[in-house]
Amino acid sequence: MNDMWMNRLSEYLDGELDNTERTALEAHLATCGECYATLGELRQVVAQAKQLEDTPPATDLWSGIATQIRRGSVVDRPVRRDRRRFSLTIPQLLAASIALVLLSSGGAYMALRPGTSKVTPQLTASRQRGIGTVATWTGPTDAAIADLQATLTENERRLDTTTVRIVRQNLAIIDRAIAEARIALQKDPGNAYLNLHLADTMRRKVELLRRVNDIAAQS
Amino acid sequence: MPRQVLEDTLTADSIAADTALAASGDATAFERLYRTHVARVHTLVRRMLDADEADDVTQDVFIRAWQKLSTFRGESAFGTWLHRLAVNVVLARRKSVGVERGRFINDAEPLDDVSGKPITPELSLDFEEALARLPEGARQVFVLHDVEGYRHDEIARMLGVVPGTSKSQLHHARMALRRHLDR
Repeated sequence: MNDMWMNRLSEYLDGELDNTERTALEAHLATCGECYATLGELRQVVAQAKQLEDTPPATDLWSGIATQIRRGSVVDRPVRRDRRRFSLTIPQLLAASIALVLLSSGGAYMALRPGTSKVTPQLTASRQRGIGTVATWTGPTDAAIADLQATLTENERRLDTTTVRIVRQNLAIIDRAIAEARIALQKDPGNAYLNLHLADTMRRKVELLRRVNDIAAQS
Repeated sequence: MPRQVLEDTLTADSIAADTALAASGDATAFERLYRTHVARVHTLVRRMLDADEADDVTQDVFIRAWQKLSTFRGESAFGTWLHRLAVNVVLARRKSVGVERGRFINDAEPLDDVSGKPITPELSLDFEEALARLPEGARQVFVLHDVEGYRHDEIARMLGVVPGTSKSQLHHARMALRRHLDR
């Protein structure tokens, strides 16, 4: 065994040797069975490391985290001292009215959900705390929603007419809310509240479409 | 749009939306983020530290994430940001429990604990168990490099060592683990 080369095998494997060293080590590998075999085993170790899987904790840790963030929410969360006096602009008033529409239309959404979900619609004043944070939420969600809606069109015949009617009514309300939020954002693109509101409304639409498609698929 | 691409898009957008909501103080959105990422964070912590510390440190990671969410600018994915935060919490923990640099550099000898060829299948360790029994320095470099994909210069900066030490520890770790490959 040549210890000098044996100790360089990982660097060779990772492509970290310069040309001269790599050539010399390859020449050594051609004559040293032990280094050649070890190199093969190291390759397997690297491959096995990439296949290791993540496993969740044995116990749910959320309750402890929730307790801590509730306890520390006032003192630990950064609070913007320089925030201007709170007042609603016209777009914000518009968004607030949309929120009320969405909340009042939540009945059908809730009725479609089997059991209790962790996704709890809540447009509460607490979100105002982070109003200085501008959401950078973008993405091809429209295309994704279009696909889900196409699937829903195919699935609608599996649902009873009352459900279809309620779902369509709620989708129309959500679409109106999305459209109005986008119009408001065109006037005030940096408005954190509106960005968050649009993100939340689109997420609700995705969740509703998914839920209805799941129900249709199971019926 | 292919179904998998659609699912990935929706998942990424959903996480981005939840991140924005959580940053504004929505604990329900933050719980969804927790449930999406807890396995990855807990596994990283468990591999980098002792298993009996994993629950506490994982909770600490998420509490710090909640506190620091307002600094998340969206330049990277939330998962990447959280992962880096978890690494930093682990490394801070390592320092706070007195695992000083000298021990990190000089802990190659205990590799003998896991380097013997298993005599019988019953005595063999599985790969995760063998990884857990590596000396701390070698284990952390192996996890950061071979499992998590960090480069030696990044690892060296994080651990406060020179890149050569990181390379050396990685080689020691691999040499020990090759005897415990799942065949």
